[in-house]
Amino acid sequence: MPVPSSFLAFDGRWVVVTGASSGLGRAVAVELAGLGAGVVLVGRHAGRLAETAALLGNAAHRTLELDLVEHARIVPAITQLRQDVGPLYGLCHAAGVVETRPLPANTVDTLRKQFDINLFAGLELARAVCRRDVLAAEGGSLVFISSVYGRVGMPGQTGYCATKGAVAAAVRALAIELARRQVRVNCISPGLVHTEMTRQSLALLSKEHVDKLEAAHPLGPGKPEDVGRAAAFLLAPGSRWITGADLAVDGGYTAQ
Amino acid sequence: MGEQEGPLAAAIMNIEQALEWIAEVFEESPGRIVTTTLRKEIPGWDSLGTLSLIAALDERFDIHLSEQDIEGMQGVGDLFEILRRQGALQGA
Repeated sequence: MPVPSSFLAFDGRWVVVTGASSGLGRAVAVELAGLGAGVVLVGRHAGRLAETAALLGNAAHRTLELDLVEHARIVPAITQLRQDVGPLYGLCHAAGVVETRPLPANTVDTLRKQFDINLFAGLELARAVCRRDVLAAEGGSLVFISSVYGRVGMPGQTGYCATKGAVAAAVRALAIELARRQVRVNCISPGLVHTEMTRQSLALLSKEHVDKLEAAHPLGPGKPEDVGRAAAFLLAPGSRWITGADLAVDGGYTAQ
Repeated sequence: MGEQEGPLAAAIMNIEQALEWIAEVFEESPGRIVTTTLRKEIPGWDSLGTLSLIAALDERFDIHLSEQDIEGMQGVGDLFEILRRQGALQGA
């Protein structure tokens, strides 16, 4: 696959992508592969990871079957990965779950399920990738997928909103802490993007509600590749002076 | 609940184990840390690294460093002295 010569070129640097089985994670992986990155596809199901791998052409890649709820497995798995492919450069934490529940049904357990994946797994992955014996000596780049719901509210999404707001807050703290090691940390806040996860979530809503939600995006709903391109931009070594940013990729949803 | 003095017996380390543990705390490759390694020779032992060390000593050995301990640590040798004093390290 021809690699464009630009500041977006990754020149073989390895990036770990979670949620790579589908949706935003898959789109990020495809984009990175096209820009010359080695991509580590992380997900729970080998079959679906293989489907993503098939989209990467001849790009260097590995698949890593990992249930991110099992936090204790993350550091050993990433450490082993470093033995296999060499120093790692980046991480994109795109794995996420959403539970649509009004307050009376929003128990600590349902909140915790969302925090386990959306926040805690991401931070544990950051801890694993940024180990001094894992990360490339030149530094690296981390991107977390937050959400517009980390910025604005939505009925039934208290837990999801809380996790995504926490992601954005953690990203700012990490950006400051890791700058001394030339590690950049940013997040993306996507608006409504049609993926399998949002399809399931929207299925709970009336058609009128969905239409209204789509209409609230001045540029209309997004596509996974819209987020994939933004993630590649923030991850790229050439974006060397961007850290602590929360980039809205939402078709104008939060600009109103 | 009675007071517990020093680390649990299961947590007591020999020299080799202590060096491995320190390497893990500062995310160094095992073998790169020796008894004479100085703090300034360990990239991860900056001010944030010291916080990681404080947390690790607390979690694993229930050791709480004094300000004097923290200021006085110039290398692995000083850290070993603290571990010995607290009964967490055995061996010459």
